[in-house]
Amino acid sequence: MTKNIKYALILLSICAVCAFALALTNSITEPVIIKMDAEKRLNALKAVSGGYTIGEQKEVSGHAYVTYAIELSDNSKTAGYIVGLKSAGYGGEMTLVASYTTQGEMLFAQLLTHTETPGLGKKAEEAGYMDKFKGTGAAKPVPTNKTMLGDSEAQAVSGSSVTFTAVAKAINGGSEYVKSLGGAK
Amino acid sequence: MKANMKELTKGIFKENPVFVIVLGLCPVLGVSSQVSNAIGMSAGVMFVLLFSNIIISALRKIIPSSIHIPAYIVVIASLVTITEMVMHAFVPAVYSALGVYLPLIVVNCIILGRAEAFASKNTVFDSILDAIGMSIGFALGITLIALIRELFGSGTITLFPVGTFSGVINIPWFIDNPIRVLALAPGALLIMGFLKAFFDWNTLRKKDR
Repeated sequence: MTKNIKYALILLSICAVCAFALALTNSITEPVIIKMDAEKRLNALKAVSGGYTIGEQKEVSGHAYVTYAIELSDNSKTAGYIVGLKSAGYGGEMTLVASYTTQGEMLFAQLLTHTETPGLGKKAEEAGYMDKFKGTGAAKPVPTNKTMLGDSEAQAVSGSSVTFTAVAKAINGGSEYVKSLGGAK
Repeated sequence: MKANMKELTKGIFKENPVFVIVLGLCPVLGVSSQVSNAIGMSAGVMFVLLFSNIIISALRKIIPSSIHIPAYIVVIASLVTITEMVMHAFVPAVYSALGVYLPLIVVNCIILGRAEAFASKNTVFDSILDAIGMSIGFALGITLIALIRELFGSGTITLFPVGTFSGVINIPWFIDNPIRVLALAPGALLIMGFLKAFFDWNTLRKKDR
């Protein structure tokens, strides 16, 4: 019994020292990471805005893919929406931003955060990966299955089907959400 | 002094963790697609291995054998988390490139293997030498595989961007004639197999003498 208490105290002491070291490191790195993430998000919003004026962010709760929506305007007229998206990739949750016309046609998209495998799912952050979804969501359906892609595009996502499906479903979910907002005002 | 040098150099060739002891192959195969990733992973492993060896060696008389594994794992996991937070904040490009392989250093057999086989039985000074030697051996192994894969598979050598230098060096002829399979996952296994065969042949040759 005494031996077990001694072991528990040793482990507790090691854990306490480790927790202190982690807390200290976190207090130094957290503000830097928050600032960096905010800059990255702002740059992503500008990149997908297509030159339209970015409005106020409105949180969306209870949607499977959409977490927030931002109205895009052109001379005070609603031109479309930027939508914050989340989806479950191969390595865990991934977040994206995508912009749509008021009819739900995707304009631009960018991957923000993910834990996909380097060399495979991680390709989704490369410039050009989202091109296969551009112009889809309205007249043309979002390719949610590899069979809906051309040969070269299907080849490009070979080995990372889970990531592709996760991105495609999120973009499709965003398109459906924008359509549900009722089109151009 | 000679014994100390032996502890330092054994990990580089004689007991190279990648090609001789065959430890930590998951990150070696996973992130050796680019030289910059290999260097980043080597830096992470070096930091974690050095400090885990120091801490475990210093605590070797305090940690009872019946709880040594959970104690080692707590220390190693904390060091990996610290490495992850520091890389995320100060070298985001490397953090992003390493992805899931960075937290996986926790289960890298080199770290726990050296803690168990060496640091728990030797002095802090010897453990530091062991960690440095093993880290250099690991870095040489993963960087050599990455260099071969990237050079022959993509025709480039990717380092870190500095000022106007983008970090990517295009190698003439190789960039126009890449052997694509080497840049893909099977390429890592192929190169690892050839280099392992070379190290085995070299070891046997020395024994025969």
